[in-house]
Amino acid sequence: MLVSAAVCPHPPLLLPGLTGSADVGAPLRATCLQAVEEALAPGPERVVLVGGADSTRTWDSTASVDGPAYGGPGSSAPAGPRLPLSLSVGRTLLDASSWSGDVVLQSVAVDAPPEECGRLGAALVQGAPTTLLVMGDGSARRGLKAPGYLDERAFPFDDRAVQALSCADVETLSALDPGAAADLLVAGRAPWQVLAGALGRRPAAGRLLLADDPFGVLYLVVTWRTSGCAR
Amino acid sequence: MLRLGHRDFADDDLLVMAIVNRTPDSFYDKGATWDDQPAFDRVRQVVEQGAEIVDIGGVKAAPGDVVDVAEEIRRTVGFVSAVREEHPDVVISVDTWRSEVGREVCAAGADLLNDAWGGHDPALAEVAAEYGVALVCTHTGGVTPRTRPHRVAYDDVVQDVVTTTVNLAERAVQLGVDRRSVLLDPAHDFGKNTWQSLEVTRRLDELTGTGWPVLVSLSNKDFVGETLDLPVGERLTGTLAATAVCAWHGARVYRVHQVVETRQVLDMVATIRGWRQPARTVRGLA
Repeated sequence: MLVSAAVCPHPPLLLPGLTGSADVGAPLRATCLQAVEEALAPGPERVVLVGGADSTRTWDSTASVDGPAYGGPGSSAPAGPRLPLSLSVGRTLLDASSWSGDVVLQSVAVDAPPEECGRLGAALVQGAPTTLLVMGDGSARRGLKAPGYLDERAFPFDDRAVQALSCADVETLSALDPGAAADLLVAGRAPWQVLAGALGRRPAAGRLLLADDPFGVLYLVVTWRTSGCAR
Repeated sequence: MLRLGHRDFADDDLLVMAIVNRTPDSFYDKGATWDDQPAFDRVRQVVEQGAEIVDIGGVKAAPGDVVDVAEEIRRTVGFVSAVREEHPDVVISVDTWRSEVGREVCAAGADLLNDAWGGHDPALAEVAAEYGVALVCTHTGGVTPRTRPHRVAYDDVVQDVVTTTVNLAERAVQLGVDRRSVLLDPAHDFGKNTWQSLEVTRRLDELTGTGWPVLVSLSNKDFVGETLDLPVGERLTGTLAATAVCAWHGARVYRVHQVVETRQVLDMVATIRGWRQPARTVRGLA
């Protein structure tokens, strides 16, 4: 049963040591950690970390955070399986948080259809009281200097997603179009729809902590807290 | 650790030594800081630009008007005192080969004796030991101060540089100079033709490989000018290229006219080598 969730972005600059002498990611990381702690406050029995990747699968808890893939000082690839970016950032956030219990590491294919995402979400929160940490960014096409250059369609798409996440609006989230999301380099569409499926028909209160695009990518940080009973 | 008089530096610090000539006739600045006021202004400027060391010289390296001990002292000692007073943190180096001058400038507050003529006056190292200051041990091929190289030949110039400077360094330590306060300078252009200076640059890792910290003095020199066929005022780019190569090979101190440009090159090379963090990286990571 979903008791709470935190939604965080996953740019590599949130990983430690990648931005040089200036820790560019520090304020964003602090906001993400605040969201994680808020989500942990109800006292879940377990945490499920969800993020987009090439495929839908679970990851062994021994898989490594893959900072070395992005360079950085003294980095060499660790032996063994390496987490995709979204889960690497999420794992780093959890490691920095007060959570010390079990974590299920779950990737979802970035091109997974909405229904499949919804079913996955529902399955992930079966049983024990669960907190989801959902990793996902908005469009990376929000300016002339954005990684994906400017696409004006990014703004209405992102506005809709921010509104839906802020209000725990499952219907709107589930209706986000995968094709448009792919065009607009939205990394969060599939994981957000997993979250929608995890909530299902139960009510939740959403809280927007941050929505900003300092580098042309929409970063948003949101928390959800569910009410006790089903609708 | 590198100890230069009253200042200690970490082993991965790359240091800029700014040249401040108290001469009317040095090759690059042609007397620009001969008068007091421009000289003080120059020190203020290079300190503000981030130079850790100022190298004060009272005698041009090339042949020219005779400058005796008394005149060299007149040109340097009062200036060293005044710089010491105004800039307590900066490392003051004095470019001299004479122990009499060395003694006076150390008493006035110098931290480092830049013996640019390679131990021509053996007593200079004793002065460094006596005053607890640092010493640069330089390779000149044994030439007399203020002479130009003339048909200088080596079996292996780099081997000669290594052997000579390391011997000078060990001698200085035996005389009582702190082992952490001795630098080696291969001395580009001193007792070397351009081919020989280029080879020293190319193989500088053999000198840094001795473990002693290495100072290089490349700034606007003739080996750059002859390599690029450029006059004195147009050698900055070539100087910076040589600076980058020396930095890659691990030289620690750079004696220069242009502080800002040198610092940028050193920061860039140090960062490529992984000794320094980039200032701020976001590209591709957002």
